[in-house]
Amino acid sequence: MAVPFKHILTYIDGSEESMSAMMYSILLAKHNKAKLDIMYVVNTRALSDLVKAGIFLDMERTEYQMDLQKDAQRYLKHATKLAKMKDVEVNCIVEEGSAHRIVRDYIKSNDIDLLLIGGISGIRSRRDELNSETDRMLRNSNCPVLVIRDDEDIWQEFE
Amino acid sequence: MNLIDILEEDLIKVPLASITKEEVLEELVDVLAKAKGFSQTERASVLDAVINREALGSTGIGKGICIPHAQSESIDNISVVVGVSRVPIDFDSPDNLKSRLFFLVVASTDAASAHVEVLASIARTCSSGVFRRMLEQCKSSKEVLQLFSE
Repeated sequence: MAVPFKHILTYIDGSEESMSAMMYSILLAKHNKAKLDIMYVVNTRALSDLVKAGIFLDMERTEYQMDLQKDAQRYLKHATKLAKMKDVEVNCIVEEGSAHRIVRDYIKSNDIDLLLIGGISGIRSRRDELNSETDRMLRNSNCPVLVIRDDEDIWQEFE
Repeated sequence: MNLIDILEEDLIKVPLASITKEEVLEELVDVLAKAKGFSQTERASVLDAVINREALGSTGIGKGICIPHAQSESIDNISVVVGVSRVPIDFDSPDNLKSRLFFLVVASTDAASAHVEVLASIARTCSSGVFRRMLEQCKSSKEVLQLFSE
C-alpha cells in the first residue's frame, strides 16, 4: 500500500454525504498530489430487481435508467467544476450494474489505495443493516476506506 | 437509503377507511398532503401522477402488498406513506389476492436514485411472511413505526 495515498477513488450517488466525500477527495488529492477518480454507478441491478418483483414495468425501468444516467452526468459535471476550482485533475467514470461490486472490482484492477464514500446508514433497524450499497463497499473494499459525514465546513471551502 | 430513514408517524395510517382501490389511492395521497401541507393544486397533481401510473398496470405486487408510486414536482426529495387496511381490498394484483398493506412512494424527478433504493427496501422488508403478518396486525401508527424500527 502506498503511503501517502497516490490513487484515490470517490463513489458518489447524488446524496449530500457523497457530495461532501467528493469535495474532501478533491482537497485530499491536491494535498497528496494523488490521482483522483470519481465514480457514479447507475444501479441497473436494483432496477432489474424491481421489475422482477413486479414493482416496475419495463417502461419504468427504461425511464428511471435514463434519469439515473442524467443524474450521473449532472453530478460528475459538478465534480469536475469543483476540481477545476482547486486545480485538481479528475477522471470521471460512469458505470452500470451493482454499485458495490463495480467499486470493489475497480479498486482491484486500478490499484486504488483509498476509497472515499459518503456516510453509511445509521443503524435504525437490524432488518436494513448491511443492505445499502455504501455499507457493502465499506465492508468489501480491499483498500482503506474513508467515510465522510455531511459537513458544512467542507461545502464552504468551495463557495 | 432505506425505508426506515424516511418513515414518519404522521405518514402512517392505521386502519385505512377505504374499501376500493380508487379510495385507497386518494386516502394515501391525503395523508401525504396533510403531513406535507400541500395546496389543493399540489394534492391534485400528486393524485393524478399516482392514478396515471396505476393506469399503466397495477402496483399490487401480490401477497397482499401494493406499492403505488409516482414522480412529482410537488414533493421535495422522497416520501412514503404506509397504510394498513382491516378489510382486504381488490387491487388487481397478479396473484388475485386482495391486499391489506399499502406503501405510497412519491419522489421528485431528480431523486431517482433514492426512489429506486426505497422501493427496493420495501420489497426486501416485505419479502418476509412473518413480517407481513405482524404489519397486518398493527393497531396504530406507533406500532407500525416500532415494527419497522426493530
